[in-house]
Parts: sequence; structure tokens; C-alpha cells
Amino acid sequence: MTMNIAALALLDGLAYASLLFLVAVGLTLIFGVLGILNVAHGSLYAIGAYATATLGQWLVAQGFNPWLTFPGMIVAAVAVGVLLGGLIERLLLQRIYSKDPVLQLLVTFAVFMILENLQRMIWGVQPYFMSTPLTVLGNVRLLGINYTAYQVLFLPAAALVVLFTLRYFLRHTNMGAQILAVTEDREAATAIGINASRVYFMTFVIGACFAALGGALATPTTSLVTGMGANMIVLSFAVAATAGLGQIEGAAISALIIGIARSFAVYLSPEIEVIMPYLIMVLVLLVRPNGLFGKETVRKI
Amino acid sequence: MLALSKVDASINNIPILRDISFTVGPAETVALVGRNGAGKTTLLRTIMGFTTCHGEMRFEGADLRAVDPHRRPGLGIGYAPEDRRLFSRFTITQNILLPAQVAKLGETETASRLERVYHVLPELRDLGPRPAGSVSGGQGKMVALGRALMLSSRLLLLDEPFQGLAPVLAQRYAEALGRLREIDPTLAIIITESNPELLRSFASRTITVERGQIDSDASNERTT
Ligand SMILES: Nc1ncnc2c1ncn2[C@@H]1O[C@H](COP(=O)(O)OP(=O)(O)OP(=O)(O)O)[C@@H](O)[C@H]1O
Ligand SMILES: [Mg+2]
Repeated sequence: MTMNIAALALLDGLAYASLLFLVAVGLTLIFGVLGILNVAHGSLYAIGAYATATLGQWLVAQGFNPWLTFPGMIVAAVAVGVLLGGLIERLLLQRIYSKDPVLQLLVTFAVFMILENLQRMIWGVQPYFMSTPLTVLGNVRLLGINYTAYQVLFLPAAALVVLFTLRYFLRHTNMGAQILAVTEDREAATAIGINASRVYFMTFVIGACFAALGGALATPTTSLVTGMGANMIVLSFAVAATAGLGQIEGAAISALIIGIARSFAVYLSPEIEVIMPYLIMVLVLLVRPNGLFGKETVRKI
Repeated sequence: MLALSKVDASINNIPILRDISFTVGPAETVALVGRNGAGKTTLLRTIMGFTTCHGEMRFEGADLRAVDPHRRPGLGIGYAPEDRRLFSRFTITQNILLPAQVAKLGETETASRLERVYHVLPELRDLGPRPAGSVSGGQGKMVALGRALMLSSRLLLLDEPFQGLAPVLAQRYAEALGRLREIDPTLAIIITESNPELLRSFASRTITVERGQIDSDASNERTT
């Protein structure tokens, strides 16, 4: 392997890890606070991507400034996260928080199946593209390689902004403090006046927005096909489980590990590329059953 | 101010309290005593809205059952649970201030309530910056009392505050309650305890709970 290929794999991995992190952080946040493993997270990712493609194509077709596709990605992601995420929480999840985790898993799986079909009905099965953000940002030279600025600068920057904003939000805002309190002890939090139902709702919507944002930001570099949601939920679960479910900073690190390992596999031994994430997850969980950063018993975010 | 009438309560469909009726007036200190498992904690949790209950509960004339559990503290009800239940991700001061922050109290109001807490529990001033996970069980009881005091302008519910306290700390806790009585004579207080003798000196009334029902309700003649 030459230096050039190593650098290429590293940059590929960085771009991929950024997207993985965006989706996994939402999954892990929802699990950390609500205790629910949200399988429908994958659909939110896919629908966020399709909505972004539709909006972006429309903006371009109408002759708007192509830079508007950037705010377009955010608008599409937030719309999908708030509307779809909000509906899922209000109509379904809210009724099953105190139920058996197996039932919760089945319910979110059912939502996933419904949304997969809905997505097929709306967008069909032909692939979608919307690479305008990629082209307007152009290329940069990094480590001696020409690479798209969108992938090596914009995506990692977006992931870092999400990571630090989320950290700041949880530690230094009133809502963040309420989320931490409810996570640790719902009853004690209620006894000091915290509306736990509202906290759950907000957390779920925020997590859903991250999934949709992951899909939105993936749009310029991926062709959108059916099954992308299923693929992503499994991958982001591998990232979250490797870090330890509920670990936000940990998810960033394990996304990097898995993202970079996967892209090295692409260049070195393509046949193990698809199983690479799960290989890492299984190895980590064999040594540390609670994940790299997870602690026993205490649920923390 | 607090009136329960024929209240039954259950947790996960297991009936625990039956036919509970009593009233507590302002300025009253009521001892709620009973053996382990008698239902004292369940009774306080029912007042806070954490059980499924039937019957009538009124607080200052209003129907308490119609008030969402998270809105009850806003009526001036403070609750210090049996096992402290501090938020370990926060410091002691943050634990005490969190109820005020959630209720979006103004700066001056928060400061004056914090002063009240410090007047009653001076030791909390020095514990302030420590993480809540790092204090001893006894100190934790003090913090839990401080946190409950932030909102309890009308009614204070203390679940076995003396349990597990060394004699010196128990003495300090009792003195703190004494100071609270002085600065807030109209506050109603309900304290649970499994040892009936312990509270006789400062509770004006003792309600005994036995297997989920009220066994007796009598005022204590002051011996001092
Ligand atoms: N979450 C629960 N699920 C089922 N049963 C419960 C639950 N909590 C309490 N109980 C039962 O309700 C009864 C009353 O319990 P409670 O905790 O109110 O007693 P207590 O008087 O506070 O006892 P202690 O002095 O030990 O604190 C007990 O028989 C207990 O087993
Ligand atoms: Mg008890």
C-alpha cells in the first residue's frame, strides 16, 4: 500500500465517519434518555436524504443560487426530524415507555417497515442524486491528494459542530439539565417540577433530527436507493454499541474507528469491507461487554 | 390545607393503600409512623402523584388529582425521598438550584430562596461545589432537604429523614427543622419514621399506618 492510498483511505474514512457519527449520536441519545432502541432511526435517515434530494433538485431546477442547497439540507432534515419524529413519539412511543423493551423494539421495527414502504411509494425505487453541494464547494489538496472539500472539510466540521453543540446543550442549558435529570431518575426529576413527557418528546425529536441530518448530508455523496435506511440502522447500531449505548463522545470515537477501518478495508481487502464494522463491534464487545466507554448498570448520556 | 378522603392507591395494579383519610393544616407537623412496608413511602408518593389512586385529594381547596405530577411541586409542595435521589451529574449547589431553574424563578427570588435554604442548613454552603455523587449518605439527606426546601412554601414531605443518620447528624437535622419552623411557621410538614418515639418531641400529631391503612391518628401531648 502506497502512502497515497493510505491518505486516500484516511480521508474517505473521515468523511464516512462523520456521517456515521451524525446518525449514531441520535440513536445513542434516544437510547440513553428514553431507554428505547429506535429501529425507525434508519428510516428517518433515509427520508431525510430523499427529502433533501427533492428539495435540492427543486431549488436547482427553479434556477435558485446553488449555495441555497446548503440551508436546504438543514431545512429538510429539521422538517423530517420534527414532523416525522414528533409524530412517532406522540402517537406511539409515548404509550409504551413503561412497557417491555422487546415490545418497544417490535414497535419501532414496525414503524421502520411502514416508513420503508411509504418511502418507496413516494420516491419509487429508482436512485436519486443531488450533488450540487459537492460541486459548489470544489476540491482541496490535502495530504498530497485532491479531494472534495465537501467530504474532507464540510462533513467533519458538521460532525464536530453537532458534537460540541450537543455537549454544550446538555451541560449548560435549562433543557439540557432537565434531560440529564430525567435520564438519571425520572421520578425524582418529576418531584422537582420537571415535565418528563416533554423531556422525552424533545429528546426524541432532537435525535430524529440528527438521523435526518445524517441522511441530508449524505445525499451529495451517495446515490439514494431503497434499503439505505436498513443498512444505516445496522451500521449506526454497531457504532453506538461499540462505544457503549448512551455514550455521546464515545460514539464520535467509535465512528472514527469504524469509518476509517472500513475505508482501509475497501483498499486492502475489499471482501471484508461490509463485515468490517461488525467485526470491530464483536471484538470490542467480547473484551468490553458494555462497549469502549460504557459503564455497568448506570444509564448515562 | 391537605385533605385526603377515602384514598386507595396501587402500584402496577398491586393495591397498597386502602381507605386513607386525614387532613393536615398549615403550621402542623405530622409524624407518619409505621413498620417497614406499612405504606408510608407509598402515601407520600401518592401525594406527589406517582401511584395510581382513587378517592379524593384536595390541596388548598383544589383537586390535587387533577394536577399533573410535575406541576404539584409548583403548588409549593417539596418532597425529599427516602433514598435521597440526588442527581449525580450535578454539583450540590446545582442540585439545590435545579427546582428553581426548572420553575424559571427570577434571579432575586432564587437568591432569596437559596438564602432560606442556607439559613436552615448552613453546612450546605461549604458542600456546594462538590459533585452530588461524592457526599456521604448523611450529607446527602441534608442536600435532599435543601432541594425540597427550594419549592416547599406550603407543604414539605420528608421520607424517613433520620434513617441511617449518626446521632450527631440526626441532632443537626432536627435543629435544621427547628430553624425552618422558626422562619416559616405556617409551613405544613409530614415526616415519616419507623420509630414512633423519635418524632414525638417535635411533631404535634402522629398518624400510624399499618398494612396500608390508617391505624390511629392522635395529637401528641407536649412533654417538654
Ligand atoms: N414499586 C412497588 N411495586 C410493588 N409493590 C410495592 C412497590 N413499592 C412498594 N410496594 C409494596 O407496598 C408496601 C408498602 O411499601 P412502602 O415502601 O410504602 O412502605 P414503607 O412504610 O415506606 O416502608 P419502609 O419503612 O421500609 O420504608 C410494601 O408491601 C411494598 O412491598
Ligand atoms: Mg419507606
